Amino acid sequence: MRLTKFVKFREEKFGGVLFETRSEKVFTLNPTATAVVREVQAGGDEREIIMRLQDRFHAPDGAIEREVLALMADLRQKGLLED
Amino acid sequence: MTRLATVPETDQSLRAAIPPTSGTEDLSAPLYVAWQITNECNLACLHCIEESGPGKAFRDELDETQVFAVLDQLMDHEVPYLSFSGGEPMLHPLFFKMVEHVCTRGAQLKIETNGHYLTVENCERMKALGVKAVQVSLDGASSQTFNRMRVRGNFDVTVDGLHNLRDAGVPVEINFSPARFNAHEIGAVVDLAYELGAFSFYTGRTMFTGNAVKAWRHLELSNDRYDAFFDILRAKAVEYRGRMRVYFHEAGLLEELRYRLQHPAALLIVLPNGLVKIINALPFVCGDLRCQSLEEIWANFQRAWKDPRVAKFVEDLASDPSKTKTLHEWVYL
Repeated sequence: MRLTKFVKFREEKFGGVLFETRSEKVFTLNPTATAVVREVQAGGDEREIIMRLQDRFHAPDGAIEREVLALMADLRQKGLLED
Repeated sequence: MTRLATVPETDQSLRAAIPPTSGTEDLSAPLYVAWQITNECNLACLHCIEESGPGKAFRDELDETQVFAVLDQLMDHEVPYLSFSGGEPMLHPLFFKMVEHVCTRGAQLKIETNGHYLTVENCERMKALGVKAVQVSLDGASSQTFNRMRVRGNFDVTVDGLHNLRDAGVPVEINFSPARFNAHEIGAVVDLAYELGAFSFYTGRTMFTGNAVKAWRHLELSNDRYDAFFDILRAKAVEYRGRMRVYFHEAGLLEELRYRLQHPAALLIVLPNGLVKIINALPFVCGDLRCQSLEEIWANFQRAWKDPRVAKFVEDLASDPSKTKTLHEWVYL
C-alpha cells in the first residue's frame, strides 16, 4: 500500500497535507489522519499499519481499525492511495 | 503511550481542500513554486505576458550558484511541486541539471514549454529523470492560426514534439490562449490535444498585458465570442470526461483576483532574477531569493496579501481594466 504516484505528503503543525499534483488538489489532514498517512509512507499492508497504530495509541476496542479502514477507503476513493 | 486523539469522521480527518478557516498562513511553506527560469525565448508570441523573446533574458538572471541555492531551499522546505517556465525554459543552459536536481530530491516537476525543443532525445531524458508532466502551448489546430499567435513558431515542429513526448511516455498537458483569429478552432484543438495523448487541457481568457497590449486589436474577443468559446468547452469537457480533463477559467481576471484576496493560493511566482511575486497577474513583489530566506519570503507573502495597496489595485481594475499593463512595474511590499 502506498500513496499514488502523483501524491505528495508534507507534515504541518496542524497535521499534514496531501497534494495531488495532476489535478493540483490539496487535501488537509488532521493529526489523526496524518499519523495514518505517516504509517502508509513507512510501508506495509493494511493489517501491519493498523497493528503499528494500535501499538502506539490507545482507543476503545476496534476503534483504531474502524478509523483507519474508513480513512483508507476515502483515500482510495479519491485516488490518493493504491495497493 | 499516547492516546489516539479523537475518533474522527472521515470528512473531518480528510477534507477535500484547504478549508476557509485554514488558509495559507497555516502552512510552513508554499505547496507550489512556479519559477520563470529565464525570460529568453526563441519565439515572440503576440500575447506573451512576460514579453519574452530572443535577446529578452534579464541582465540579472540567477547564476548557477544562486539557482542551486534556491532549489536547495525549496527542497529543504519540502515544497512538493514546482514548475519551470519562461520565456522558454529549455533554453536555460542549466535546464537539465535543474530538472535532475529537483527530481532527485523528490519534488514533482512540470515543464511549461512552447514545444520547439522536444526532440526524441530530450523527451526520453525528461522521462528518465521523472518529470511529472510537460505542458505545451498549442494556440491553434492549424499552422495558419498557431503561427500567427506564436511569432517565429512552427506548428509542425510543436506537433512533432508532442508526438515525441507521447512516445517517450511523458505525461502531456496542453495550454491554449484564445484570440480573435483562433478561438473558432477551440473544438478542433481540444480534439487534437486528445489525439496527441494529453491528459489535461487548459484555457481561459487572454490577458491584456505584456505583448498583448500592443497586439490587442488582433487578440480581443467580444463577450459573445467568449460565450460561444466557453459553450464549446463545456461540451468538450463532457465529451472527454474520464479520458482527458478539460479545464477552463470562465471567470474574468477581476473575479479571480477578488477571490484570491480572500483565499491566496499557496503558490509563489519566482522571476528569472529571483524576485518573488504574490501572483502573476499583479505587480507586487514579496521577496528576493538572492538575499532572503524562503521562510522570510513566505511570511511576507502572507502579509502582502493583506496589504491595502493590493486590494486597492484589484478594485481599481474594476474601473480601469487596462491597469494590467503595468504588471511589470514591480511594487515591492
